[in-house]
Amino acid sequence: MHELGVAENLASIVLEVAGNEKLTKVTKVNVSIGEMSQIVPDLLETAFQVTVAGTIAENAILEMEIIPVKLKCMDCNKEFELHENNFICESCGSQMVEIISGTEMFLKSIEGE
Amino acid sequence: MEIKIMKNILNRNQDKANEVRAIMKEKNITMINLISSPGSGKTTLLERICERITGHFRTGVIEGDVTTDRDAQRLKRFEIPIVVINTEGGCHLDSHSIYKVLDCFDLDNLDVLFVENVGNLVCPAAFDLGESFRLAIVSVPEGDDKPAKYPMLFRQARAIILNKIDLLHHTNFNLKNFIEDLRKINPSSPLFRVSCTKETGIVEFMEWLGKQIKKN
Repeated sequence: MHELGVAENLASIVLEVAGNEKLTKVTKVNVSIGEMSQIVPDLLETAFQVTVAGTIAENAILEMEIIPVKLKCMDCNKEFELHENNFICESCGSQMVEIISGTEMFLKSIEGE
Repeated sequence: MEIKIMKNILNRNQDKANEVRAIMKEKNITMINLISSPGSGKTTLLERICERITGHFRTGVIEGDVTTDRDAQRLKRFEIPIVVINTEGGCHLDSHSIYKVLDCFDLDNLDVLFVENVGNLVCPAAFDLGESFRLAIVSVPEGDDKPAKYPMLFRQARAIILNKIDLLHHTNFNLKNFIEDLRKINPSSPLFRVSCTKETGIVEFMEWLGKQIKKN
């Protein structure tokens, strides 16, 4: 349900950048969404389209790259992908594991004319 | 043409959260964000906390509620500063709403500020409020699958409170599975098994909480 809040934040950055760059139309918005950010892609898509309706970003394609959760063991430095919510190092069994990607919500770029 | 941006979508929230955190640090206040589903016992836990904390720490509460001030009414008897934020349908608090109400508190006379987030296990986990730490509260009737289903919250929590433990034998809640799932996600944060209505496990939790407030 926080997709609407995320979409509003996203739209405000998109429109600000588009304004600064003097674009008249935004055709595509490229974002990366971490698997652990608990965003439902379909809901974000709908929320985004509702938010940008009537702006220069109306009907822009929202291209979402889903980023898997990657972990790094602080003891043995092994990097591995998260499986079945297991944050224990698969190599040495350490509990000192850090999330290095997969929680982010990033606006990568916009395309327009 | 393509314009590279590479910006956190929630940067507005994050910037304001950093500002709130800086204020809390300057005023030496521990801010605690309470996150749970509706009905898991956040307000009852706050009642148990307030009964024991006044006299030790100067306490304030921000109540995030969708429409009413019922939670705040329940805490009125403690005569501590309480501010209600009605989100008007919104499913979480954000850092801007917290920042706006900080003026309502005398921050020079506060040691700890509890924030009762809107009842929801998903959305509040994504929005940093500028808190010192988060507490995840889950109750037995909700089922033992909550850590597995909402890993982000349980990963981030400084402690996990399993409430309504007195109902354990009336449900199919499997404590072993719950702990196994939880420990895969968060191996180190303490788990407190409490019953806020029967007042079991509260003493241990309060001992831990007092240390966290002092440490901060």
